[in-house]
Amino acid sequence: MSTTPDVAAAAVSEPPPALAPQAARGGGFGRYVLVRLLLMIPTVLILVTLVFFLIRLTGDPITAALGGRLPADQLAERIHEAGYDRPLLVQYLEYLGQILRFDFGSTITDNQPVMTVLAEYGAATLELVTYALVVAFLIGIPFGLVAAANRDRWPDAALRVGAIFFYATPVFFAGLVAKLVFSVWLGWFPVSGRAGVRTELALGRDGGTGIYLIDAIRSGNSDYVWDVLSHAVLPAMTLGLLTAGIFLRLVRTNVIGTHNMPYIDAARSRGVSESRLIRTHAYRPALIPIITVVGLQIALMLGGAVLTETTFEWQGLGFQLAKYLQARDFVAVQGIVALIAIIVAVANFIVDIIAALIDPRVRY
Amino acid sequence: MRNQSHLRRAAVVAGFAASALTLAACSGGDSDADASGSAGTGDTGSGEPIIVGTTDKVTTLDPAGSYDNGSLAVQTQVFPYLVNTDYNSTDVVPDLAETAEFTSPTEYTVTLPEGLTWANGNALTSSDVKFSFDRNLAIADPNGASSLLYNLDSVETPDETTVVFHLKTADDQVFPFILTSFPGAIVDEEVFAADAITPDADIVAANAFGGPYTITAYDFNKTVEFTPNEAYQGLLAAPANGGVILSYFAESSNLKLAVQEGDVDVAYRSLSATDVEDLSGNDAVQVINGPGGEIRYIVFNFDTQPYGAATPEADEAKALAVRQAVADLVDRDAISEQVYKGTYTPLYSYVPEGFAGATESLKDLYGDGAGAPDADKAAQTLADAGVETPVKLSLQYNPDHYGPSSGDEYALVKSQLEATGLFEVDLKSTEWVQYSEDRTADVYPAYQLGWFPDYSDADNYLTPFFLTENFLGNHYSNPDVDEMILNQAVTTDPAERTALIEQIQDTVAGDLSTLPLLQGAQVAVAGTGIEGVTLDASFKFRFAPVTK
Amino acid sequence: MTKPRLLDRLPVVHQLRQAVGLQRGMLVAGLVLTGAFVVLALLAPVLAPYGYSQLADDAGNFGAQQPPSAEHWLGTTVGGYDVLSRVIWGARTALLVIIVAVLLSVFVGILLGLVSGYLGGWVDRVLVVVADAIYAFPTLLLAIVAAIAISGGQSGMWSGVFAAAISITVVFIPQYFRVVRAEVVRVKSEAFIESAQVIGASTWRIMFRHVLRNSTRTLPVIVTLNAAEAVLTLAALGFLGLGIEPTSAAEWGFDLNKSISDVAAGIWWTAVPPGVAIILAVLGITLIGESMNDLADPRLRARRRGKGTPADAVAQSEPVAREEMGEVQ
Repeated sequence: MSTTPDVAAAAVSEPPPALAPQAARGGGFGRYVLVRLLLMIPTVLILVTLVFFLIRLTGDPITAALGGRLPADQLAERIHEAGYDRPLLVQYLEYLGQILRFDFGSTITDNQPVMTVLAEYGAATLELVTYALVVAFLIGIPFGLVAAANRDRWPDAALRVGAIFFYATPVFFAGLVAKLVFSVWLGWFPVSGRAGVRTELALGRDGGTGIYLIDAIRSGNSDYVWDVLSHAVLPAMTLGLLTAGIFLRLVRTNVIGTHNMPYIDAARSRGVSESRLIRTHAYRPALIPIITVVGLQIALMLGGAVLTETTFEWQGLGFQLAKYLQARDFVAVQGIVALIAIIVAVANFIVDIIAALIDPRVRY
Repeated sequence: MRNQSHLRRAAVVAGFAASALTLAACSGGDSDADASGSAGTGDTGSGEPIIVGTTDKVTTLDPAGSYDNGSLAVQTQVFPYLVNTDYNSTDVVPDLAETAEFTSPTEYTVTLPEGLTWANGNALTSSDVKFSFDRNLAIADPNGASSLLYNLDSVETPDETTVVFHLKTADDQVFPFILTSFPGAIVDEEVFAADAITPDADIVAANAFGGPYTITAYDFNKTVEFTPNEAYQGLLAAPANGGVILSYFAESSNLKLAVQEGDVDVAYRSLSATDVEDLSGNDAVQVINGPGGEIRYIVFNFDTQPYGAATPEADEAKALAVRQAVADLVDRDAISEQVYKGTYTPLYSYVPEGFAGATESLKDLYGDGAGAPDADKAAQTLADAGVETPVKLSLQYNPDHYGPSSGDEYALVKSQLEATGLFEVDLKSTEWVQYSEDRTADVYPAYQLGWFPDYSDADNYLTPFFLTENFLGNHYSNPDVDEMILNQAVTTDPAERTALIEQIQDTVAGDLSTLPLLQGAQVAVAGTGIEGVTLDASFKFRFAPVTK
Repeated sequence: MTKPRLLDRLPVVHQLRQAVGLQRGMLVAGLVLTGAFVVLALLAPVLAPYGYSQLADDAGNFGAQQPPSAEHWLGTTVGGYDVLSRVIWGARTALLVIIVAVLLSVFVGILLGLVSGYLGGWVDRVLVVVADAIYAFPTLLLAIVAAIAISGGQSGMWSGVFAAAISITVVFIPQYFRVVRAEVVRVKSEAFIESAQVIGASTWRIMFRHVLRNSTRTLPVIVTLNAAEAVLTLAALGFLGLGIEPTSAAEWGFDLNKSISDVAAGIWWTAVPPGVAIILAVLGITLIGESMNDLADPRLRARRRGKGTPADAVAQSEPVAREEMGEVQ
């Protein structure tokens, strides 16, 4: 699934995008940054290419839309007019040419400029992911520290099993149950959507940032803010708790890891209290892997967001991607994937740079 | 303010009204039709807007670029149509037009009233009409429905209020129906492009509307705000409500919860059978049913079915016996009740109930003669034709295009066919796009399809299916049927035409090119305070008469 | 002498002996849950009261959405299937997907890792960049695209299982690739390879053996975690409508998807059993993986009263610690 145990795996293998240290070998920091920057290009290109060919294996948008209505010859004619029967390589080169010019075109099935789709739904996903990260940080990190401090005692076991439990619960199942309990039975939160229809219309009218909370605050109307926030609670908790479980395990593992280091032992022998050890000494060095994984999580949450968005009618990128995939809208799918690839590449880039700044050994 | 959830939003509504006024000011700025811009928002006293929820999606607002129900559902509210069907009627009568009639066998003449305008104040004349049809044919968008204008030769405008459609074949009885459907929407020639699809945002910004409503706020596939259009002078009475907000959902379960909780006033298309059944036991909402044009059926491929023309043991009589035995064995009532909980009803012919000429041809011919299955009769049919049992039948269905219950429906069909040991069914499913390609490539001997009509006439259930050149591509060919289908389309006497349509169904029922199974009802669920939801054989949910 | 050693070295068994206290508890709980899951999968035909696609028995149709009863302990689904039977059969589908996905990704990942690490040069660089790109991309999104591309054909049980498994595999391969390649690069530079070459032994063979021996600490952990992820991805695909149809096989995610309307209508018995089945299966496998992860990392291993020698701990921790610094070579 989306938000994965890569984290746990990362603790075992290594923080991933440490590719090609050979390229960085011997250079200074500037050179390192440059190489990492350049490496973003192939990453994006590979994903975009992969998706280009995969999606074309799956049929065309015209058959998807009208296969149940038109005779075969009429379908073929429309496909021909749209140019989808040309050699794949020609289409691919044409596509590469377009993205080089940052021309993402318009969606095939509903005639929306891809840039608009990306900006609009990207903002929604960004908002959801941000909320979820806040939840994940607020819950995952403190509880991770608690677990580490109580290592191998019952609070640790309970928290860890709890974390695994949240990871093991499919987002859509958790979402379904949450909706039923908190929306239908208790009536605390709205069932679905990003805002009530009236709020949505009012905010859309001002043509704001697309991040509803910001737009609502800017509108100065506290009802809108309240409405937007109440819609965000369940999706944020659902996606956030899953990620919190991952953060908890990560914090715990790394704090314990540094906890056993000789210098900690030394501090302990000086009589520094355990809780102080956790807070000050063990906490900082444990940061690097946490930063790494958080960077990765942003990418991974985009995947988890598909399910959360679908469950809660949160009209974001994942939600749109699922819709456009169903319709075989090549242009839209490629555009969204390209954006996600870029986000992932940038996130990795930033993570690498931060890691290199904190610990120069990473560079060489 | 009828229940708690309304109370919760009361404050929000106040804010809404304020911002609505701001918008009215904006939209009125560049046109001289302030009336339309402020109509709905100005007199919100006539009621707060009605919120309609749907899971259908819009492809594009531009009528030339869409061929789907979700787009039509919006277009039908905001664009004018020359002719239309009135509520609860299937007769085509003038809508925008003053008169509309055949003035010669190949000329359909429409006259418009004087002084029509678009919501933005532009004049609405015969020139707009000609423009609309010409551009649709010129653009011929791959996602569009210009192919429905197959019989339109040219459009002539002798004067500002007269339009003459020159048709290719004479006495086309279907053409007026097509004018009520996808390609019939008239658009503003000063706003729409002649050779390309016009973006939704441009249409909304230019207020290029002429139907009962205008769109005053448009958030693509999220929310659309409809405000009554005072410039509209057509068939339908002026909107009885102060405006409508259309809210889009992706999951039917969310739509169901939303209507149950009072977050939307009306839920229309599509709730699952379970949702509808549950809501019908809920006192806070009312379930409104209307006739449905949607049909579900099994197609037989005459080449590849057992004993089909292209199989090694080709035998026309045995092939027919196999089809007949299937028809004898299916239990439509069981499917309707178990899988669809009555939201689909048994269908015993090709033209569904509600259309002039609908019959129940298959009821007498197959099963026990009263609609129920008859295993002995099936066994006899097969034995008489010398077919060895069990017959191996490969049956295909599609899980993602005709609703989520297709799998359950076909599992039940399989179980019904196999129950008596006469058939051994190999049931498979294929994802939609591949399915569409395979079915016309003779890959599937027998397979599921569904149909939602393009326009509300019996012809739409015959011509596309049973002419030798049909969209099924199942190699069914019966010259008598061909002749009758072509005849009914040009028979001007209604009674005579109905008789022909009935005869066609009887003949095809004997041949069993396809096996009709179910007919879908239209279902809307509305809060108890909602009135005027009208679901008729136009298959359009028109917002105008709905009140709260 | 060799026998107990071999047994000791087997993953899981090795860890079980190593574990103490709570860690042992978690591992045992994981093993019990996973064992139950495997038993259900293997004995589905015996344990399940009905077939996964059975709609009727001698007494007639089961009927749709029937509440739990003596005939149907967990009631029936919206399609009229027996819920209990489908949950049990679903274990079989999940296990099949796990096996196929893990086998494929282990095989392809190790092969590519060997080739990449051994050949070096531009082949290596290209493979590394590709693997990193795929690794970084959201799993589910890729699986969705892959599932649509792969399941283009008909959805029988095996094609469904393979579609899910292959789409999961695509995303898993980079993880194995990464571990194996790092090991190959390390081993390659060591002196005994050269000596092996001198005496004429096949370098490939030696490398393969050494690499595998040295990867036994990390690979089992990745395998278990991937197995858990496979179950979740399968469920997510099923939930998004890209799963296996009920007439071909029972699949938990698909059943959950179908039960959304039921839940909203207060029919709990169609949704809860497959949901709980997914949670328990993933919980069991993840508990094993977590425990093994802890035990593979001496810093995390619960301290026994009589510790191993410090040298032992250092030797064990060495590769893990190095990798944790973000270093590949």
